[in-house]
Amino acid sequence: MNERILRIMHEVFEDETIDFSCSQGNCEKWDSLHHLNLISELEDEFDVEFEPEEIAEMTTFTKVKEMLLSKC
Amino acid sequence: MKCFVFRNQTVEPFFNEKGVVFSCYDDISVIPKQADVFIWFYQVPPGESAVVAKEVDTYIEKFKMVLSRVEQDKQIAVFTLYPLANTNIVSGNTSLLLAIENFNRWVAEISKEHKNVRIVDFSEFTRHYPKEELVNWKFYFISQTLLSPKLAKDFKHWWQRKECELALKRKKCLVLDLDNTLWGGVLGEEGVEGIKIGGDYPGKAFAYWQQALMNLKNTGVMLAVCSKNNEQDVFEVWGKNPYLILRKDDFVAWRINWQDKARNIQELAAELNIGLDSMVFLDDNPTERELIKQLLPMVEVPEFPAKPYQLMDFFHRLVEDYFRVYSVTNEDLKKTEQYKANAQRAAELTKFSDFDDYLRSLDIKIDVLPLDLFNLPRVAQMTQKTNQFNLTTHRYTENDIQQMANDGALIYAISVSDKFGDNGITGEIILRPKDKESMIIDTLLLSCRILGKGIEFAFLDVILNLVAAKGIKLIEASYVKTAKNVHVADFFDCAGFVLSDATDNEKKYYLELTQQRTVKDCYSITIK
Repeated sequence: MNERILRIMHEVFEDETIDFSCSQGNCEKWDSLHHLNLISELEDEFDVEFEPEEIAEMTTFTKVKEMLLSKC
Repeated sequence: MKCFVFRNQTVEPFFNEKGVVFSCYDDISVIPKQADVFIWFYQVPPGESAVVAKEVDTYIEKFKMVLSRVEQDKQIAVFTLYPLANTNIVSGNTSLLLAIENFNRWVAEISKEHKNVRIVDFSEFTRHYPKEELVNWKFYFISQTLLSPKLAKDFKHWWQRKECELALKRKKCLVLDLDNTLWGGVLGEEGVEGIKIGGDYPGKAFAYWQQALMNLKNTGVMLAVCSKNNEQDVFEVWGKNPYLILRKDDFVAWRINWQDKARNIQELAAELNIGLDSMVFLDDNPTERELIKQLLPMVEVPEFPAKPYQLMDFFHRLVEDYFRVYSVTNEDLKKTEQYKANAQRAAELTKFSDFDDYLRSLDIKIDVLPLDLFNLPRVAQMTQKTNQFNLTTHRYTENDIQQMANDGALIYAISVSDKFGDNGITGEIILRPKDKESMIIDTLLLSCRILGKGIEFAFLDVILNLVAAKGIKLIEASYVKTAKNVHVADFFDCAGFVLSDATDNEKKYYLELTQQRTVKDCYSITIK
């Protein structure tokens, strides 16, 4: 799962160096629009739906992964 | 900044990030001077129909305001409106429907009157999706994207094709197999009357298909044949079968023989003087398709439908993927005739011993035309499409050309005709000013169909005399190597320019304009 999330992040943020430490705080490209793309890609990749409240919380790699684990 | 988008919803996910800037929501106060092209992409906002109708009614005035302030030489692509998320509770209340229709019809009119306004039919994209897929309310509430961001990839793909259309880029030639591709059945087995074309199904499907291809040809796409058959049999069908729609004269060239199709297609490309990447190949036989895909990867080879009734849907996709264009120039319309006349010209060549003598016999007329509003689209289009006789291969849009002209560039096109026909506008030169007494040849190109007659030298000589008369003393020029223009590598050497610098990919030249250049007397040249 880690790899699949990272691959999507690399694509969405157009940055191959992103790793598990990535968060909205330390990643320049992770603004609200890219957040939207990220969520949309994650929903398609893992065939899940996130609630708006959940989307607002998914601000770091770790939180994204936790949210996915709670659904998959 | 390349592109500026006026919008009233979040549309950022639908465009590539680089070079695109967005207005604030429903903000027409800022019209950036640096933008090369503009996009007007308003969407019908959600809400109660009558209220939204009033809102939509204001878009015409807003767009008028933008149009009046955008420089006339810059392109504006306008999306039509499409109701994405409106619920009409009272079906007899048609106010929103009418407001949308009103806007769309008005834009269609405006795009006819204003050359820089191009209409983009948004429903071409939206009609592929049900309402629930078009709008995703969750994303609307968190980020005001009315059109679902899940469609972003599809949209980008569609928009890329639309941009090619708007820039008048398309494939040039469709190469067709015959048996079970242009008609049903195998000619060698079923005979001239036995093949299936016209009458009932499946012949009816092939007749519709041929008519559709005829319509495509009439917009300037060249049709060619590549078939394993006896040439005589095919000529007989073309002459005798009363139900055929496409006949010998409709094809610009053909290879009907038993040698392999890759070689045939290469020969066709050479004969027509076009690149393999301008060709699309259709064949019902998967083995032949695979052969071309392997040996000639530059040629587009779409899958071919298994059932004749699928041909019309297939035609639609074929046009969308390769041949759609925003508007068609006069030169496009005459293309098949022009290439044919070239073949006739080549035949005449054999009769003369002296080349100049041959040239004189052709009655070549060259009109030198300064850039104007009528030839501007063609001048831009040629920079996009000309690959072989193109010294620098700079690609320009209409806006770029206009901009250079505004900045003092001298831009001339030539229109060439001879006793076999009118080739139309087939060459151009762009000279940019360097300083008071010198200019740089930014672009010099000629369409391949007029080559081989020394017209390139006559054109250059006429232009050099013209600029010399304007007081220019020094001309700089360069040859920039591409995969396709190698045979003009020595053009400036032949034209008497002095080589000043050369690298692997570029050769730089200069020429002092000290004396009048003599133009061969084989042509009658008019400077308009």
